[in-house]
Amino acid sequence: MNCNDCVEKFDRYVDRELNNTEVLELKLHLEGCPPCADQYEFQASLKRLVKVCCDKDTAPAAFREKLRQILL
Amino acid sequence: MAESPARTAFAEEALTHLDVLYRGALRLTRDPDQAQDLVQEAYLRALRYQHSYQPGTNMKAWLFAIMRNLFWDRFKGSRKEDVSLDDVGEFVLYDKLRDEGAKPEADVLDKLAASEVVEAVEKLPPLHREVVLLVDVEGFSYKDAAQTLGVPIGTVMSRLHRARQQLQRSLFDYAVESGIVHRNGTGQVPQP
Repeated sequence: MNCNDCVEKFDRYVDRELNNTEVLELKLHLEGCPPCADQYEFQASLKRLVKVCCDKDTAPAAFREKLRQILL
Repeated sequence: MAESPARTAFAEEALTHLDVLYRGALRLTRDPDQAQDLVQEAYLRALRYQHSYQPGTNMKAWLFAIMRNLFWDRFKGSRKEDVSLDDVGEFVLYDKLRDEGAKPEADVLDKLAASEVVEAVEKLPPLHREVVLLVDVEGFSYKDAAQTLGVPIGTVMSRLHRARQQLQRSLFDYAVESGIVHRNGTGQVPQP
């Protein structure tokens, strides 16, 4: 696997969508290629950042209660 | 009005996904009141079509699909808002930051404000925003996201890729505007 093939798989790797063989190939490449490993770590951190920043919001308690009144 | 035990149990289970639906609606509408209206309508519709839900399947995805379909019904008239990201071109934030001489993770990611990240997500066209919400925020698989959105898996992947490109572009612009990184700089990063 070369660097282009590796980078091309980053989306699916961070999303856990690669099959076992692909994961193994990618891990092997990352172990021997610090620039790709750094870039992968950045991609993974960016995904984590989006999640952490966007999943803080929860439904307001009054709204939850209102829905319970309506639905139950 | 006394509800049947089956309906009550269904509603109880559906309500365990309220936060996911609310967050999704909030990001799609960008307005807490509209988000509540949308979610309430989605739950009422879900109860009305309870018979079409197959027990044991992914209820969260089923509810999200109802909510986002309602969103699109309401916004049909303004679909032009959903500009295509086909032409945004490749933008790799990591490379861009390295070119500017910054350490991408330590210098930039760690310094971005949460509100800016949320704003960058909300600036995405809705068709791309919803893929980011499902896959990145709520952890849906491509398959579940595709099913929720009613599109092929390939479409999920391409929308997600373009969305991430656009997101990185927005974050880079913010990093430059706020002085976290200097455009065309020589590796200068402001010291705390």
